[in-house]
Amino acid sequence: MKRRDALRSLALLTGGLVLVPSCDFSKEDILGAYQNLEITPTLKQLLAEIADTIIPAGNLKGAADIEVQDFILVMVNDCMEKEAQQIFMSGLKGFDDFSKKSTRDKFEKLSQEQRETLVLEGLSTEDESQQVIKNFLRTTKRFTIQGFMVSEYMQTEVKPYSLIPGEYKGDVLIAELKPERING
Amino acid sequence: MANFNIDATKERTFQAIVIGSGMSGSWAAKELCEHGVKTLVIERGRDVKHIKDYPTTNMLPYEFEHRGQIPQAVQEENPVVSRCYAFKEDAQHFFVKDKEHPYVQEKPFDWIRGYQVGGKSLLWARQVQRISDLDFEGPSRDGFAVDWPIRYKDIEPWYSHVEKFVGVSGNKDGLPNLPDGEFLPGFPLNVVEQYFADQLKKHYGNDRHMILARCAHITGNLDYYAKQGRAKCQSRNLCQRGCPFGGYFSANSSTIPWAERTGNMTMRTDAVVHSIIYDEEKGKATGVRIVDAHTKELEEYYADVIFVNAAALNTNLILLNSTSNRFPNGLGNDNGLLGKFVAFHNYRAGVSAQYEGHLEYTTQGGRPTSGYFPRFRNLHKQETDFLRGYAAGFSASRGTYSDQNSIGMELKESLLNPDKYGPWHVGSHMMGETIPKESNYVALDPNQKDAWGIPLLKVNVDYDDNDEKMIKDYQEQMTEMFEKAGFTNIRLRDDKRAPGLDIHEMGGVRMGKDPKTSLLNANHQLHSVSNVYVTDGASMTSTATQNPSLTYMAFAARAAHHAMTGLK
Repeated sequence: MKRRDALRSLALLTGGLVLVPSCDFSKEDILGAYQNLEITPTLKQLLAEIADTIIPAGNLKGAADIEVQDFILVMVNDCMEKEAQQIFMSGLKGFDDFSKKSTRDKFEKLSQEQRETLVLEGLSTEDESQQVIKNFLRTTKRFTIQGFMVSEYMQTEVKPYSLIPGEYKGDVLIAELKPERING
Repeated sequence: MANFNIDATKERTFQAIVIGSGMSGSWAAKELCEHGVKTLVIERGRDVKHIKDYPTTNMLPYEFEHRGQIPQAVQEENPVVSRCYAFKEDAQHFFVKDKEHPYVQEKPFDWIRGYQVGGKSLLWARQVQRISDLDFEGPSRDGFAVDWPIRYKDIEPWYSHVEKFVGVSGNKDGLPNLPDGEFLPGFPLNVVEQYFADQLKKHYGNDRHMILARCAHITGNLDYYAKQGRAKCQSRNLCQRGCPFGGYFSANSSTIPWAERTGNMTMRTDAVVHSIIYDEEKGKATGVRIVDAHTKELEEYYADVIFVNAAALNTNLILLNSTSNRFPNGLGNDNGLLGKFVAFHNYRAGVSAQYEGHLEYTTQGGRPTSGYFPRFRNLHKQETDFLRGYAAGFSASRGTYSDQNSIGMELKESLLNPDKYGPWHVGSHMMGETIPKESNYVALDPNQKDAWGIPLLKVNVDYDDNDEKMIKDYQEQMTEMFEKAGFTNIRLRDDKRAPGLDIHEMGGVRMGKDPKTSLLNANHQLHSVSNVYVTDGASMTSTATQNPSLTYMAFAARAAHHAMTGLK
C-alpha cells in the first residue's frame, strides 16, 4: 500500500518518471520505484507485452489491462534474492535479442500468434545459451498468473472472493457440483 | 512532598500484579478481577484492542502488496521469526522481529514471541487437548524429571471451567489418554479422514485412534458467548489476523475485556519487567520493578500477590533477574535449578501421501481444525526403546486445480475454470514429548543487555537420542498405518528444525513435591516465596504431547483461586 502511495505521489511530482542522475544522457531514465532493479519505461512496456501474451484480453480483461507488470516488478524487486533479480533483469534486457534471433523482429512488432509461439519457445528451450531467457519467462509467467488471479479485478468483478467460505462439508459429491463456466 | 510520595505509592499499590497479558496471564487476571481483587496487569508490549487493532482482519488477498509473502529484506533481517509458519504479510505486526529483541543461541533455538496485549493468544493454532494421568504419572513411572505434585483430578474442574468460557469445539471420544471436556459441536471430519479413522479401528482395534482435534472455537451456545461480545466461528481460517467475530479464543477478545469490565483491572502496557522486588524482612515479594519501554525510566508497583505469566522463557528470565541478598541466583532459586529442565515438543517430522479412493468426493467450505492422533506409544507400559511418545495431526484434502502448461487464451480459460481433481492429499505431523534434562537450560548472559538494560537470555536447548528414536518410530508407524489404509506415494519429512519453532517451550520453573528438586509447589507457588505464582509454560514438570495452552489457562485459574483464599 505504502509503495503504491509513494508511487502515486512520485508520479505526480515527476510526471511518471523518477530521474536518476546519469552522466550518459543517451540513456533512458530509470524508474525509481523498483530500487533493486534498473527498469526503464521501455523495459516495463516490454514486460507488459509479455505478460499480456501469457494472459491476453478477450471477453475479460488481460494482464496488461490490469497492469500486472507493476505487480511482477514489485515481487521481483521485494521478494526475490539478488541473484534471481539479476537473472530476471538479464532475461528482460536480453528478450528483444532473443526475439530478433528467432523471428528477426523485436517483440513489439510481432503478431499475438507470433508472440505466443516465441514465449512458448523460450519457456521450453533446452538451449544452454537461452537458460536466462527461460528462467526470466518462468518467473514472469508465475507472477503473471498470481498477479492476474489475485487482483482486485478478478476478486471483485469476475470471481468475487468471500472472506467467509461457508461451513465445512467433508463429503460433497463432485457429480452434483455444477460449476458455472467463465468465458475468458 | 511526603504526602505526594505516600499518594504515589498508594497509586502504585494493588492487591495483585499479573506479569503478562497473554494466554495464562489474562486468565489469572480474569479470575482475580471477577472476584473483586484489584489487579494490575503488566504488559511489555503495546495495547491491542479487540477488532480495532486488527488492521488486516478484513483485507482481501489482493490488498496485500506481496499477496501474503514476507519481502526478502525482512526475511534476511529476521531469519528466526521468518521460519514461523504464521509469519506472513497479514500477521507480521503481531510477531517480535529478531532484530528488536535479541537473545543468545548457544545452540540453535527459534524463539517465537508476541509482545503485545494478548501475547501469542492472537496467533496460536487454537488446539486444546486435555492432559491425563497417563501424562501426569509419566515422570514417576518412567523415572525422569520429578513427579508432578498434582494429578488429573486436581486440574479436571479447572479444565471444565476454562473450556466453558473459551468455547471448545470437539467430540466426546471416551479415550483415557485424552479426557473429554465441555464441548460445543465438533467440526466434521471429511470422508477420507473418517475412512482413515475406520481403517485404524479395523487394523488396530482400540489401540490407535484418529479423532477430530478439539479447538478453541465457538460452534454453539451462542447466547452465552454473546455476553463476551463473541460470536460463532465463521470458518474464515484467518485467525492469525485477529478475529472480528471473536470466533476463537484470544485474550484480546475474551478474558482481557471481561476483566476490564469488572472495573478491577488496571492495564500497564509498554512496561518491560526488570525484576520482582523481594523484601527480606517480610520474607515475601512486595512488588515489580519495570522499565518504561519508551522513556526507559524505572518504576515500581506493589501488591500482596504476584503472578508471573510472561511466557515460559521470559518467566525464567524475570525470576533469574530478580536477585537479592536472600536470592543471589534468582527469585526462589535455592536449589540452583531455576532455568534448567527446559523442554519442548518435537515437531521435526511429517509424513504425507496420496489416496486414490473416494474420488467421487471433494470438500467445500472452511474448517479451523483437523484430525488428531492421541499418543498411542508407551501408553500403559514401556514398549519401545525410547521413553514416552508422540501425538500427531492428520488431515486429508482435495481441491480443483487448472492445467497451467499453456499460455494465451488456453491458459486463461484453464485458470478461470479449474476443473481438474487430483488424488486426495493426506498429511500428518508429529508432536513428540521431549524429556526435560538439566543440560537443556536458559540462563542470563553475564555481559550483554537489551535496550532496556535487561540481561539477554542465553538458550541452550537441543534434541537428544530419545527424540531421534521417536522421529524414526513416528515415521515407521505412520508409514505402516498409511500403507494399511491404502495410501500411496508416501513421503517422509524430517526438516531438522531447531527447537522452539514448535512454540511449545516449557519448564525451567518446574512444579514438584520437593523444594530441593523443584521450584513450585502443587499450588504453583514458589516453594520459598509463597506469594509468587507461576502458571505459564515455565511451570511444566514434563511436556506431555498435547498442545499445552489449555493446561496453562487451567493452571492460572486454579492458582488464582488459591491466591484469593490467602487474600481474603
